[in-house]
Amino acid sequence: MSAIIEIQDVGKKFGNHQAVAQLDLSIEQGELFGLVGPNGAGKTTTLRMLVTLLRPDRGEIRINGLSVLREARQVRKLIGYIPDVFGLYGNLTVAEYLDFFGACYGIVPDRRRRLIGELLELVSIAHRREDLVDTLSRGLQQRLALARVLMHDPQVLVLDEPASGLDPRARVEIRRLLAQIAERGKTIVISSHVLTDIAELCSRVAIMEQGNLVECGTLEQLSQHVTPLRRVRIAVMAGADVPEIKKVLTSIQGVSNVKMEESAADRARLTFELEFQGDDSELHQMLGALLERGLPVIHFGEVSRNLEDVFLHSTRGIVS
Amino acid sequence: MVNERTPLENTVGDRESWRRIWRKLDNPVIAKELRSWMRGPQAIAILTAYLMIISVIVCIVYEISMTSTPNPASDPSFRQSIGKAVFGTVVLLELLLAAFIGPALTSGAVSSERERQTFDLLRTTTLSASSFIVGKLGASLLYLMLLMLAAVPIESLAFLLGGVGLEEIVISSLMLFVCALFFCALGLFFSSIMRRTLGATVGAYVVIVLSAIFLALALAMISMDPAFNATQYAANVHQQTLWLVVWMLISTNPILAAVFSEVMLIDSQSAISGAWGPTSISLNLPLPWIPMALLYVYLTILMVLASIYFVSRPDR
Repeated sequence: MSAIIEIQDVGKKFGNHQAVAQLDLSIEQGELFGLVGPNGAGKTTTLRMLVTLLRPDRGEIRINGLSVLREARQVRKLIGYIPDVFGLYGNLTVAEYLDFFGACYGIVPDRRRRLIGELLELVSIAHRREDLVDTLSRGLQQRLALARVLMHDPQVLVLDEPASGLDPRARVEIRRLLAQIAERGKTIVISSHVLTDIAELCSRVAIMEQGNLVECGTLEQLSQHVTPLRRVRIAVMAGADVPEIKKVLTSIQGVSNVKMEESAADRARLTFELEFQGDDSELHQMLGALLERGLPVIHFGEVSRNLEDVFLHSTRGIVS
Repeated sequence: MVNERTPLENTVGDRESWRRIWRKLDNPVIAKELRSWMRGPQAIAILTAYLMIISVIVCIVYEISMTSTPNPASDPSFRQSIGKAVFGTVVLLELLLAAFIGPALTSGAVSSERERQTFDLLRTTTLSASSFIVGKLGASLLYLMLLMLAAVPIESLAFLLGGVGLEEIVISSLMLFVCALFFCALGLFFSSIMRRTLGATVGAYVVIVLSAIFLALALAMISMDPAFNATQYAANVHQQTLWLVVWMLISTNPILAAVFSEVMLIDSQSAISGAWGPTSISLNLPLPWIPMALLYVYLTILMVLASIYFVSRPDR
């Protein structure tokens, strides 16, 4: 795969405020890329530079080899942008709204008509085609915004806080829709505060703080970076021999930090959590050792580190 | 080898080139703006208020004219003078309303897009800044044209009574169009430099009011000069200069330009030039509507170009 977005040594200042200090980033074609960071980290500034709305003070941004500075018009054909506020014309109908943006991209009327039908089907709001945009719920407006960015069939979608203000169901639905769009080979760059959305959707994540890139990689790589130790959770039936379990676990090489948790909600089981350094076969041996001793194991699994852990570990919570 | 096209190919080719021309002229912003306006109650409310104001004032002018003549039926030129009065009233009202409604229509053209946060979306499309500005201006102009067309039935009362020449109709229509264009461009210019619609509206009206005040003051000062009204004045050049300045000042205001163009038109029977000033200096100058139209077109072009510049530049 080749890089469709290349950000090299980019910096942006607003007066005395350094919004983006130094950013180097490369995003592959077809990737679902997440950008996270605390407020004022420089995410929106980065996205706005990406979509030709802001001029970087320094550095170069290229989309599919085209410079956003010198070939902005060409770049605009390749990108679709949804800002944190959808930007809708309330007194146009759904179809008129899409038709207007289609015309803004120079799409001929016949093709626009066909596209509107197809896209409304894709985002499942074809039944609201003739309704005024103002009458749509926030979730449906977000779907309409997605249909809008797809009108000119861009290669790259840039979404700033796509789930903001949506109820949980709408968020899940938008997530599914984005995954569906990504399957069509589109590169999607998402900035969000909702870390679970990013973790679930994105193949790669970048964490920004104070205008700098602090981490970038797959969730697995980022977790590894936080700590190389694996976290294992074991549940046994209540009444099991706790000292024996602890003895077995601590005798295994690579095991450390064994903790027992007693859940008030589930008194039928005891849960142990530990850190482990070793590969899958060694993990399998650990399970074997427990079963060999006749201990009543009812759950054995690795706890993956979530983005929240990585985020908290990587950022210092400094707001620019 | 010469490639000759069949008649069918010619027809298809012609149709395709027409389509291409139409696509170039087809501005999505005009359609969107007109659609949005006509859907809301605002457009109909403005149209109704506009026609009501013109109708009421025309009725008053008609009534005053009727009562001022003791025996209207015996006066042969009476009908014609009423026709002129009605026509003049409608044109002046239309000019005034263009100055009032034009900036109001366009002062939100760019700033409201910013407020609604749709401006960024439009800037990320391939729609050029010039298409955007021309679309906004075109839509406002079309709406003002609709208002002016709606007033034609009231104006036609003057045609029924007579006294209005073809030149007057052509000149007034041209002036109305140029004024509508200028006042829409003025609002658009302020909209492109201001972040908020309120600021843009205030800015546009302040310019209109200040220029009227400046004009009134300048004319008052000149009229106070003894040389201006002297019938026998030795230093003829000074008096000529004063009358020339007055002509120039009048040419900056559409209402004064319309009134004095009509006076000069009646005197000289020419729609292009006429005698200006007292008989002692006898200046032969173009009718004020000509420099006014040229000046307003020039300023409109400047404001449109400035608006395009402000809209197209990326955020700093």
